[in-house]
Amino acid sequence: MSGRHAPSRWICNLLPVAAVMLALGQPAAAASLSAKEVQVLGRALAFLQPPPGGGSIAVVFAHDDAASRRDAEDIVALLGDGLRSGGSMLRPVLRDSQSLAAGGFSVLVAAQGASGEAILAASRANHALCVTGDLTAVQAGVCTMAIRSEPRVEVVINHAAAAAAGLEFVAAFRLMVREI
Amino acid sequence: MRRYGLIRCALPVLGRALGYGVPGYALMGYAMVGYAMMGYGGVTLAQPVDYGALEQLFGEPVTTSVTGEPQRVTDAPANIEIITQDDIRRSGATSIPEVLQFVTGLDVRRNGFASADVGIRGYNQTANPHLMVLVNGRQVYMPDYGRILWATIPVQLAEIRQIEVIKGPNSALYGFNAVDGVINIITYDPLNDHLNTATVAVGTENYLSGSAVGTGQIGKDAGVRLSLGGFQASDFPAGPLAPADAKARQSPFNGTFGADGRWQINPSVSAFAEASIGDTRLSEQSPPSLYDTETVVSTSVRAGVSADTPLGLISLSAYRSDASIDIGNISFTSVPVERDEYQTSYALQASDVVKLGTDHTLRFGLDYRDDALDSGPLALGTISDAIYSASLMWDWQIAPALSLTNAVRVDHLQLHYSGTLVPHTGVTVAQYDATTVTEPSFNSGVVWKVTDADTLRLTAARGVQLPTLLQYGLQIPPGVYGRAAYAGQPGLAPSVIWNAELDYDRALPAIASTLRTALFAQRIDDIIGLPFGATLTVVPPNHQVFFAQNVGYSTAAGLEIGIKGHSESGFRWNASYALATTTDHTTLNDGPSPTSIVEYAHSAPNHVVIGGIGYSRDRWELDVMGRWQSSYLDYRLNPTRTVLLAENVDNYVTMNARVGYRVTENVTVALTAQQFNAPALAETAGPPVQRQVILSLTGHL
Repeated sequence: MSGRHAPSRWICNLLPVAAVMLALGQPAAAASLSAKEVQVLGRALAFLQPPPGGGSIAVVFAHDDAASRRDAEDIVALLGDGLRSGGSMLRPVLRDSQSLAAGGFSVLVAAQGASGEAILAASRANHALCVTGDLTAVQAGVCTMAIRSEPRVEVVINHAAAAAAGLEFVAAFRLMVREI
Repeated sequence: MRRYGLIRCALPVLGRALGYGVPGYALMGYAMVGYAMMGYGGVTLAQPVDYGALEQLFGEPVTTSVTGEPQRVTDAPANIEIITQDDIRRSGATSIPEVLQFVTGLDVRRNGFASADVGIRGYNQTANPHLMVLVNGRQVYMPDYGRILWATIPVQLAEIRQIEVIKGPNSALYGFNAVDGVINIITYDPLNDHLNTATVAVGTENYLSGSAVGTGQIGKDAGVRLSLGGFQASDFPAGPLAPADAKARQSPFNGTFGADGRWQINPSVSAFAEASIGDTRLSEQSPPSLYDTETVVSTSVRAGVSADTPLGLISLSAYRSDASIDIGNISFTSVPVERDEYQTSYALQASDVVKLGTDHTLRFGLDYRDDALDSGPLALGTISDAIYSASLMWDWQIAPALSLTNAVRVDHLQLHYSGTLVPHTGVTVAQYDATTVTEPSFNSGVVWKVTDADTLRLTAARGVQLPTLLQYGLQIPPGVYGRAAYAGQPGLAPSVIWNAELDYDRALPAIASTLRTALFAQRIDDIIGLPFGATLTVVPPNHQVFFAQNVGYSTAAGLEIGIKGHSESGFRWNASYALATTTDHTTLNDGPSPTSIVEYAHSAPNHVVIGGIGYSRDRWELDVMGRWQSSYLDYRLNPTRTVLLAENVDNYVTMNARVGYRVTENVTVALTAQQFNAPALAETAGPPVQRQVILSLTGHL
């Protein structure tokens, strides 16, 4: 009998090890935009008509939301020195969603939990492209572009939000992304 | 021919320079003429699509060849294979057919060093007229026999961004003749892609080649790409050919020059222009099954403008292609005679791609095309057509994972003949001039991304293949090829191709691969046969004529399954199997011995297996690829050139290998062994293909 039970005991002994390995394999507090999605954002800027030629990339976190701020900080880290567009380097800056009135940005990256009316208003007032990893924010019309990179790159644009912010994209790009 | 006198005298090209020591000033003159005509032809249908930027963004190749709108390959409603520049380089190929030999579903038969016929899914023949080939949207399909002279295509392999292979009809975009498939060769964009490279290569078969491609910026908004290249070689030994056929074959050479330019006039408007010139000599099997040597001087000019407007992406372009062909040894007698022909094609194209709302994309197209074949020996005059076309494509994104594309096109042809027809055939010039053909075609496709990993594609199409200009207008009087006359017919019906296909693709991330499968069925009605091999017609009182005729129908069905992938560690692999079975219901070859080369049921292999593996590490690249195909029937003439012989071409394996080493950042040396598994292979009923070893040196800046 013991021989018959040996394989199951062996499996049971391995389960905790497997669980630890799985846990170690999980990305720790992944940003809502991955490095690859930041790369896609950088490439997508070239298809704005005209591409942003100045200002910063405001990475916006929700006011009084520590998790959102951490996510924004991670995105800023991924952006590094910034993204080149229209001959200029757009540098990332961390911004609270309640301090967007000052403007000075041409791209708004909404961190986790930061999508809302403040960002929508700032996007419209500054003709800034709002980008997020949260598709529901784009579907709700509070942000313009959602980017997903896995399992394949998907770019979703809210046509009305883009129009409200006075943003136009190159026709070939519009034909290849999903518009809602 | 007169129009080519200056070019022939003053502008001998690189191939001759390599072989015969043309003075440097001649090449310089050539380059200057090309420079004066420099232009751009970088995108299909002249659309302002930045392939490189979009490919980088989406992480996969981009195409405009399926619907006319830019699409990711995985979204396109057709079975399309993309061969990238990396694929081309790693293949070690020195010609486009050599690259295509390892594409699933393609049949490539080399009947000479520089001559090959390429077919898709069970249909191939000498001078195969079922395939449409384009360079950046410009047709390089030759209207005489509807064939492709691959060696004359004025493109260096190094300047190709990608070769797009669409399997199945695509007449709703390209019109007549895009019936078994479309191959669109896309070159780098001279404005956005910077490429400066030169390659020299030497090999067995006395092979010597050189090519150079350079790009330059003119200010911020304009770019130019110039390319020059050529080769010379000894052709394969004649093998089983009839003595007269063997004698007719001469060593091949080629030289081409191309210039592309694009000017971004403002952020929304760009203009482009291109020009090319080439001089090629190749020995080949001609449609009557004779082997001959053709010398082809070809030129092209193209220009256009694209504008991103509130009304959509509007493109206008125009081009002209010319080919002057000298054909040696067209004779059944022991005395070879020379033939010549002069082909001209003009095309005007206008299109508008507009997105309506968020889910609907429309493409409107208007095309005009004019083809003319001027040949005393072959047509006793000039046979020409004018084709007017209108097309509409509607792409409906029904849901995020589901799209439906429908495209329709109507082509209207008007035929014209001027010259002196062969007498006593019963055909008159008035009949030619009264001939019109109006045919609709369509392509429909549903793409359903069932899951993130699974895609289903269902397509249906009606394509239309016109009789070629020589099927309409061949005029060979009695006494040239025996007692009978050979004549085209203005009353020929176009072939109609019906096709349906179901594809299933699955991403296999666990092994970094993609699985692709396809099931297809096709029917060709009103197959058009050449006069050569046709049933003899007796025109009262007693005039014997072989007419081009509609000879029946053919059906085909098959499947393809393939896997392709690569790993982060530098390995890459591919394997595929293709099955294509074809059945003919024609009036040809009913007798005890064959008379016609149109015998689809047996003239392409039923089974093909392709495999490849490669590895890149540090400075090294190593690739090995192989192809096995089952036997098929091919044709050649008997030693006295009086009887057509059907020869069984046994199944065979051909294997290639290439090793590349990057000596410095800018210099790569590569050794390629083509067909290393056999010194000689009978791939056709003609000259056996020889093993070839090539050493190349490439410099990049």
